[in-house]
Amino acid sequence: MALPISLRDSITPPELELIASEELVEIVPLISMERTAFISGAYGPLRPPNKARIPLWMAINLKMKKKCHIVPPDWLSVADFLQERLTQETTQPEFSQFPFRFTEIAKLLLDTAPDDIPNSDKIRSLLKDIREARQAKSRDGLQKIDHSELSLPNLCSMEINEIRPFFVRAMGVLTQLTRDPVADSRQFGV
Amino acid sequence: MDDDYYSIDSILSENQKIQCTFKVDIPDMGHLDGGHERDIKAQSRVQLPLWLAFILIYSDYADFTIPPPFNSRVRNALNAEAKSVKLSALVGAGGFWYGFGKMIMRLLDDEPANEMSGLLTKSFRNRLVEVIDQAQHFAALGPAGGGGQSGDAALAFREGLEVTERELFLLAQESAKRTKQWYESTDRLRR
Amino acid sequence: MAGAPSPFAVALGPIELDFGALPESLFQQLMRHWLNERHAPDILPVQAEVLGALLDHIRRQTDSVQALRGDPDSSEAEHARIMLVQTEVERVKFVVRSYIRTRLYKAQKFSRYIAATPKVQEKLSQTELDHAKRFSQLTENHFRVSVLQALPPHQQGLDDNTPFTPPMISEPDKSRAVFVHARGECPPVRLPDGTTMQMKKGQIVLTPYAVVEQLLEMGNVELI
Repeated sequence: MALPISLRDSITPPELELIASEELVEIVPLISMERTAFISGAYGPLRPPNKARIPLWMAINLKMKKKCHIVPPDWLSVADFLQERLTQETTQPEFSQFPFRFTEIAKLLLDTAPDDIPNSDKIRSLLKDIREARQAKSRDGLQKIDHSELSLPNLCSMEINEIRPFFVRAMGVLTQLTRDPVADSRQFGV
Repeated sequence: MDDDYYSIDSILSENQKIQCTFKVDIPDMGHLDGGHERDIKAQSRVQLPLWLAFILIYSDYADFTIPPPFNSRVRNALNAEAKSVKLSALVGAGGFWYGFGKMIMRLLDDEPANEMSGLLTKSFRNRLVEVIDQAQHFAALGPAGGGGQSGDAALAFREGLEVTERELFLLAQESAKRTKQWYESTDRLRR
Repeated sequence: MAGAPSPFAVALGPIELDFGALPESLFQQLMRHWLNERHAPDILPVQAEVLGALLDHIRRQTDSVQALRGDPDSSEAEHARIMLVQTEVERVKFVVRSYIRTRLYKAQKFSRYIAATPKVQEKLSQTELDHAKRFSQLTENHFRVSVLQALPPHQQGLDDNTPFTPPMISEPDKSRAVFVHARGECPPVRLPDGTTMQMKKGQIVLTPYAVVEQLLEMGNVELI
């Protein structure tokens, strides 16, 4: 078959990583480079020590060769911010707002540039606690599932991917168990 | 439970038998009852697989009774505490309780069909979170895990899952494992 | 947006949920269509223009890398630049391949449906359509040779429609649920429970594919 089973109607965590790596991040370059046309846009020039914004994959690539420092986004560099988010996450019923691909981006940066992130261990453990608090909430979402619609505000990309297989299947089962949804389905839409 | 011609699950769930009462005499079909009569007589009761019962009931040759997995005792138990009912015991190991119920639903008139739909969806939703919780619990234990604090009640619940619920259990477990693996991976192959 | 405002007024930048904040680059467009294709139960209209333009771009980038490489005086910085350009080309090629493979998988899975439904054929490229048609022929020949020719003629059909039995030609299951993100304000759509839903920009819902099929075609939403 043209596609392995795991890829047939979902997406894998490494693929999500690839997508997240297109987002822009700030760096302090350690080499010079002329402004260059890439497929996703023109980046540069790199002139140390001036900051520049480039895609995350490019930053990681240079970082691995010790040719730049990565400036982590604010939400990943201020432990107080995450601490406060964790409190919010554990005391409020709704998901607090994070960048859609924050899980992938945080992991990529913590894996490849921990020396550029102040208090990286503290940040790592806060992220883990936040993740667990949010997991408990998607469980609440499961309780509300029906055959029609489930709103999931502020759910993030990696979280969606983890719950996708059984949320999709559960909604499918409920569709089957509800009377005649197929006949109705022709009238859906705009 | 999917409506696909080539779905093995769909074919298997039509093998469930229901009790039919013939309304008319059917000559030369006595062997269906496994008995020695030559004909099927009106008013005789025969256990028939769903795939055969459908067309007979639809054509008004036979009537049927609600099968035991959906009788009032089961309904009451499900309404009282859905998680305490062993669905697998009602339809046999590898059985399709929801799929079976859906087929029965299609044979019923509006009002009883709506009731059946209500029973099925309510039971499904009341059990779903526990199915997923347990699946994720097992995924978190990892390969060396097992046992843990999974008590007798949890074990009994798992044993009572019917096929569709087992499928959901596996989906949740696999997905949790895949995600955990990603979180824990530190190999950076990119250069 | 939900969530109480934070007393630590830290801006969520520079990395943000940039859905549609800037005009999409060609590559971003392809990634969106790739994800849509992955998640949709149905085969979606082929993105021939985006794909063609990107393939051209890949060719141009590869040519300039070749030219730069031929220069013996290139500096260390020049090497880094070449390496980055090549890395990006590989990333784009990965997505292109994955997009094509996803479509090919669907073209095979629904080959008999595609071969029998002219309306659906418009959504495929010529090569995809040829592939689907040939694949459906091969499948049908195989069924005939291995089983059907041994059966009585009236049981040899491959497109029967019998009551209480699903049709023999499998169609995409449009009732399958998808995770949907609204790229902008959406017109109202009808839900299976009879109510209406009007998605606001940024909203995320799980709902059957049939509900958002047209919104997806118009580009109001994307599958995530």
